Amino acid sequence: MDNPTWIDNTVWLIFCLPLIMALVIRFLTGGLPKASAFISCLSTTISFALSVAVFLSMKHDVHAALPWVSIEGFQASIGIDINRLSILMLMVVTGVATAVFFFSRTYMGKDPDISRYYASLNLFVFSMLGIVVADNLVQMFIFWELVGVSSFLLIGFWYQKAAPANACKKAFLANRLGDFGFILGIIIVWAHSGVLGFTELKEFFHGDEESWLSVAGVLLFCGAVGKSAQFPLHVWLPDAMEGPTPVSALIHAATMVAAGVFMLCRISFMLTGSAMDVIAWIGGITALLAALMALQQDDIKRILAYSTLSQLGYMVMAVGIAVPQAAMFHLTTHAFFKALLFLCAGAVIYSTHHEQNIWKMGGLRKTMPLTFRLFLIGTLALCGVFPFSGFYSKDAIIAAAQGAHPVLFVISLFVAFLTSFYMFRLIAVVFFNKGRTEHAQESVEAPLSMTIPLVALAVPSVMAGWIDFESFLGPFFHSAEHHHGEHHAGGGVLFGPFVHSPLPAFIGSFIALLGAVLAFQIYSKVDEDPFVERAGFVSWVLGGKFFLDEIYRVIIACTHDLIAKISAWFDRALLSGFIVKGSQGIVEFTGRALRLLQTGNLQTYAMWFFIGLSILIFLLTSDTKTISQ
Amino acid sequence: MSPVLILILLPITSGVLISLLRGKSGSLARTISLILHFAAVAIAVSSFVQLGKAPVNADGVAFAFIRDWIPSLGIQFYFGFDSVNAPLVLMSSIVCFAAVCCSEKIKDREATYYSLLSFMSAGVIGAFCSFDIFSFYFFHELALVPTFILIGGWGAGPQRKYATYKITLYLTGGALVALLGIVLLYINSNAETFNMFSILAAVAKSPLSESTQNMIFPLLLFGFGVLVSLWPFHTWAPLGYGHAPTGVAMIHAGALKKFGLYGLLRVAIPALPLGSQNWVSVITLLCTGNLILIGLAAMRQRQLHMLIGFSSVAHMGFVFLGLAAYNIIGITGALLIMVAHGFLAALSFGLAGSLRDYHPDLEMSKMGGILKQAPFLGFGLAIAFLAGCGVPGFANFAGELLIFFGSWTELPKPYVILAVWSGLIIGGVYMLRAIRKVLHGSINDTWKNLEDVKGMQKLAFSMLILALVIFGIVPGSITTPAQAPLTKLVEQVDSQRENKTAFKQESNPLKSDQTLVSSLDHQK
Repeated sequence: MDNPTWIDNTVWLIFCLPLIMALVIRFLTGGLPKASAFISCLSTTISFALSVAVFLSMKHDVHAALPWVSIEGFQASIGIDINRLSILMLMVVTGVATAVFFFSRTYMGKDPDISRYYASLNLFVFSMLGIVVADNLVQMFIFWELVGVSSFLLIGFWYQKAAPANACKKAFLANRLGDFGFILGIIIVWAHSGVLGFTELKEFFHGDEESWLSVAGVLLFCGAVGKSAQFPLHVWLPDAMEGPTPVSALIHAATMVAAGVFMLCRISFMLTGSAMDVIAWIGGITALLAALMALQQDDIKRILAYSTLSQLGYMVMAVGIAVPQAAMFHLTTHAFFKALLFLCAGAVIYSTHHEQNIWKMGGLRKTMPLTFRLFLIGTLALCGVFPFSGFYSKDAIIAAAQGAHPVLFVISLFVAFLTSFYMFRLIAVVFFNKGRTEHAQESVEAPLSMTIPLVALAVPSVMAGWIDFESFLGPFFHSAEHHHGEHHAGGGVLFGPFVHSPLPAFIGSFIALLGAVLAFQIYSKVDEDPFVERAGFVSWVLGGKFFLDEIYRVIIACTHDLIAKISAWFDRALLSGFIVKGSQGIVEFTGRALRLLQTGNLQTYAMWFFIGLSILIFLLTSDTKTISQ
Repeated sequence: MSPVLILILLPITSGVLISLLRGKSGSLARTISLILHFAAVAIAVSSFVQLGKAPVNADGVAFAFIRDWIPSLGIQFYFGFDSVNAPLVLMSSIVCFAAVCCSEKIKDREATYYSLLSFMSAGVIGAFCSFDIFSFYFFHELALVPTFILIGGWGAGPQRKYATYKITLYLTGGALVALLGIVLLYINSNAETFNMFSILAAVAKSPLSESTQNMIFPLLLFGFGVLVSLWPFHTWAPLGYGHAPTGVAMIHAGALKKFGLYGLLRVAIPALPLGSQNWVSVITLLCTGNLILIGLAAMRQRQLHMLIGFSSVAHMGFVFLGLAAYNIIGITGALLIMVAHGFLAALSFGLAGSLRDYHPDLEMSKMGGILKQAPFLGFGLAIAFLAGCGVPGFANFAGELLIFFGSWTELPKPYVILAVWSGLIIGGVYMLRAIRKVLHGSINDTWKNLEDVKGMQKLAFSMLILALVIFGIVPGSITTPAQAPLTKLVEQVDSQRENKTAFKQESNPLKSDQTLVSSLDHQK
């Protein structure tokens, strides 16, 4: 079972299966929603099982490629490169996808377009796997763009309504803005090294600190800024919540937004010190801003969306402070507990007849006890409470921040406090007190078909932190120049954080508890947000998300659209009007000549044409020596 | 008999047969042209597939057919396939067939329409099959004149007459200037033949003087440039396409327009490497105009067909950029975009045409929800918009990517980066806005009885989409075989340009000053 060809073929199968499913659904089972849902669930389960099998039987890295375009000096291929990093990501993506696919069967069950839904989801998984297994930068860019397209299709799934249609447009354009930084970075790297494959690039770079490489690094990071919704291109992610909730769980929480972080880890060997500084600070700023914005949101999905932004900020910051393995660790645990939280939110929304405003819910602890417990597990993991998975991964980042920069350390602790504050605000308002509306009072526990995938996600949300990521991913990043070196300490994996970095571990736990208690004190007995009255201005700014959307809109209207207006006018007035009307005489003349020709008689026409050509040729050539032979 | 010859004769036969009918039966005319054009597609596909295995002559041309035409001037019929023109011929034949399919709604003087359309496709296919520059030009003219008559006679829209005159004036003018350039090249090369390969061989052996090159190249650049709607000679294009009957816009924008690019790629630049080198900065500047200014103008369009017209002009900027770079990566990308854009333009104009058959006003703010109302039509438009803003999976993406890479190492950097970068962002903005306005949202009253496309039109659109996807997934099927002939062209250009540099370095300062002065004189 462990021979490389077996692994080779299996990975190709895992990679291509979702595409095959998307095509099958599009062309064969389009009219049979149940069949589409069934085969999708089946195939994604197989993909996940195969990924685990590959992981278990893999002894060394596997690499295979098919040529895509090969020109002298430019060799791009579509390949699979399976190493410790990509096999981990492969399992995360297929694993979360499996839970989401099963959950969607009930959640989307009444939608008439469920076949289109599953086809797009499969396309998304295919694109995502393309990024994961990519063996070169061009392939990564191709699938990077495809992920953007499939996310566009899914956010705009209910495209007949204005809000999703606008949201998908916004997401696509914000991503595109980042993507062209990404491609520019790829071109710079290629222009200097002449190669595109990760293996070849690794041989080329030896931790050089050159200015062009810093520029390239920042440009490559632009791609991650777009896809992982970092400041200042983060604006699309909260709007993307207009898509179906399971989509939000899969794409806008667990996988696609993590692609930026994955990409940064993949290319971490190329990042120079100054590029990493930019990355660390952008990540830190995003984590802080998003956590602040989350404090005053009232839509259950938007709160989770801002918390995603904030956690992505943590991961990006981790890459920036040279602990990519911690970033991947947090990415993995976050994928599980955030998908769990989103799907629980989906169950809540489903049971309250598509209500998303938390102030119209309440008391759901009694009507939906299982969902409440699962949501609580997700929240504890997200807040980094011992011994849930989030504690370990967040601690790894905070501990590294302590060593990197005092301001980043403070930011990361403060964000941890904010996180547990807004999450327990959410829990207090939604699950405690009593139902504020009829829908909330009459809500019932979601059906088993929805809660089973939730339970499946809750297990790794608790336990994923007990795996020793440091030593699993260490060998992959070890060759990287910026690796901090392994630190082994006692206490085992379970209590490790308290032993080798006691300060962040204890402060982190304390702060998380503080946030939770504080939020509970303020919010467990109220029916509207007391914060709005007591700190009106702050609440207005936070709830308005610092008005970045509005600022962007004004900037776009002032620059972009104005320039477009001017060039359209220029095109009409100067070129069409002036130049052509200036030659009105010729136009008239030609017009008459044409009318003469337009006798409808083709032969006459062809004759004229041919005579004209011959005369011209004759005139031009008769007085030269070429034909006087 | 050479399949390439049959390929050219099929549409000619169609045109002649239909004109013999003398307008008696419209549906018969349609059937004849459908069958013969489909046969052309079949032959083009099979020849394209067999190209790798087919025996080639000394020029590297397969299925060659060579006959003297005007021996005193060295003009021949020299038809055939090599790996550069074959994808273009394949694209042209599919586009022409699709254009015939999309002409279903023409009911006025049907027979004449179809016969003219057949001559148009004969011209397009003939031009790309030709390796004799004269017949290459001749076939282009054969296609161009029916274009004018068709727009004048069957076009629609308020400014039809003005559009007809304008397109006639521009294209005839451009073609004449290009002809002048071709004839001057012929005379000065002393090759005594119009054979493409012989002329290139002759100028490789004894290069034309730099001053001669400086004189001839602008004629070819601007002559061909007008035909390809190079900024600022593009104004005929959106207007002309906006008023042309659907089929004509499809063939012209898709296939015929590539004539000028092909001429620059294959003849003008390799034959005049020094002349073109002196014009590189001008080409780059002008294609920036295409990418940015036209793109921005496209953003302001309210009518769907005008948007498509402008965006198709904007796309030409990429090809010019690849040609300006003229390294192997750049021109491979240019070739790929020429093919991809052919399919894309035909698809976009065809779909806009079917919307227009239902309602003449394509004001985008009054549209919406087309995706729900007419799923296939909407799907096609979505593909066209996405392919148009460079999404992977479609052939355009691969071409644009190559041009990015190719132009990076060759060109003055700051504004090229700006052009390409903003070109793609701007493209994304207007395409996404169009999707939002036309496809998404709720259906407007005007459009609520719109029927989805079916029958031959559906077949035509499926073929175009399939072609975009196939060449998007395996662009290697075009780029890999084309390496040998394209490398040859690049080598020819490079060797002369390098010789010039070497010569300048060796010569004394006085002499190089003189060269500089004389080249400045010519630029004036």
